[in-house]
Amino acid sequence: MEIKKTAVAGTLESSDCMVTIEPSAKGLELDLESAVIRQYGKRIAEVAMETLGRLGVENARVSIVDKGALDCTIKARVECAVMRSAEYEGRIGWGGVIK
Amino acid sequence: MGVAIYQTPLYESQQHDYLELLALCGLRDEGDADAVALATDERGILTGCGALAGHTVKQLAVTPDAEGQGVMASVLSALIGEAHARGEHRLFLCTRPDNVKMFSSMGFYTVISTADALLMENRRDGLEDYLSSLPRYKGVCGAVVCNCDPFTLGHRHLIEYAASQCDHLYVFAVSESGSMFTPPERLEMIQRGTEDIPDCHVFESNLYLVSRATFPAYFIRDEERADLVKSDIDIELFGARIAPALNITKRFVGEEPYSPVTKAYNERMKELLPEHGITICEIPRYEGISAGKVRSLLLEGDMESVREMVPETTYEIIQRKSRAGA
Repeated sequence: MEIKKTAVAGTLESSDCMVTIEPSAKGLELDLESAVIRQYGKRIAEVAMETLGRLGVENARVSIVDKGALDCTIKARVECAVMRSAEYEGRIGWGGVIK
Repeated sequence: MGVAIYQTPLYESQQHDYLELLALCGLRDEGDADAVALATDERGILTGCGALAGHTVKQLAVTPDAEGQGVMASVLSALIGEAHARGEHRLFLCTRPDNVKMFSSMGFYTVISTADALLMENRRDGLEDYLSSLPRYKGVCGAVVCNCDPFTLGHRHLIEYAASQCDHLYVFAVSESGSMFTPPERLEMIQRGTEDIPDCHVFESNLYLVSRATFPAYFIRDEERADLVKSDIDIELFGARIAPALNITKRFVGEEPYSPVTKAYNERMKELLPEHGITICEIPRYEGISAGKVRSLLLEGDMESVREMVPETTYEIIQRKSRAGA
């Protein structure tokens, strides 16, 4: 999926995360801010990269401000931000790329 | 419990509660908000607030009773959402220095801190990236920061003089929009109008100098409250971060007989910049020309008088704009 514009999903509330995706030409760049970065930083990055990979995002600048989100929340927020920044208006691939 | 975004102006009763909350937290309404986020508890009582003014989030407050309940996180989330919806993706945040930890955990990074104010932005190393994009020069370096709305013979005179007083001159064009000419038009006017001046280099200030984030009073133009003008953030950002990175030791300004806000800014620079080893040089106004006068003449359609006050290059750009608009 091609990232066409900057978009954001999620909030800064406890147990959530805010994901911002911006267009870029230099592959995937991930910037992570989290109070639990030492415990879960690697896992958060893994979930984000996996989700981006599944959605076919190759070039984007991704920033995640994590407030203790669970994996499923991170995945959902990344998916939502990608859909918004790709200006995706077709049918969402439930069970396909989004599972 | 919830947060809602309201366009300004607020309803009278909301405005009343909002101002009361700001006062309780030692803040005041600067009057330039485009939208306000208000958080209320289950009884409908205001527990937190924040404002969005262009690309800047400010006037963030939570009542002492509601602290520690995540009210600020909700207020800030709502304001960030609103900003993105308005197409403002690059955001600044103004707060008190003791809040640095809270907002650092919410994705904001310090740009500059003074004794009573803190400016942050939503990009890690934003200022560092900007500074490393600028060239470095050898010898004595000076700086001029100008809005140039539009670029007049007065600006030309100031820049020409400044360039003659140093080996290299950085000219920073104010990149804030909301004036008569767009930032790219103003940048072009300055670039073309100074092309023949040796060792004069024109750059965008990228919102780090004289922007709604660093110096909101300049854009609010509330002349009666000029004594309340707060420009320390802007001056410290220049003095402590930008100038040392580029080895700038002189800042040139035009004498300001017309605008009390700009005058107060110049005076404050004279107080603060020498502490950073920067000399401030104030140049008398050139033949009474001001960009404000030129704007009034343009609105009156007096092109002959305009032509006498601006370089030929500026005049061309003005004509191109009026042709495109007609």
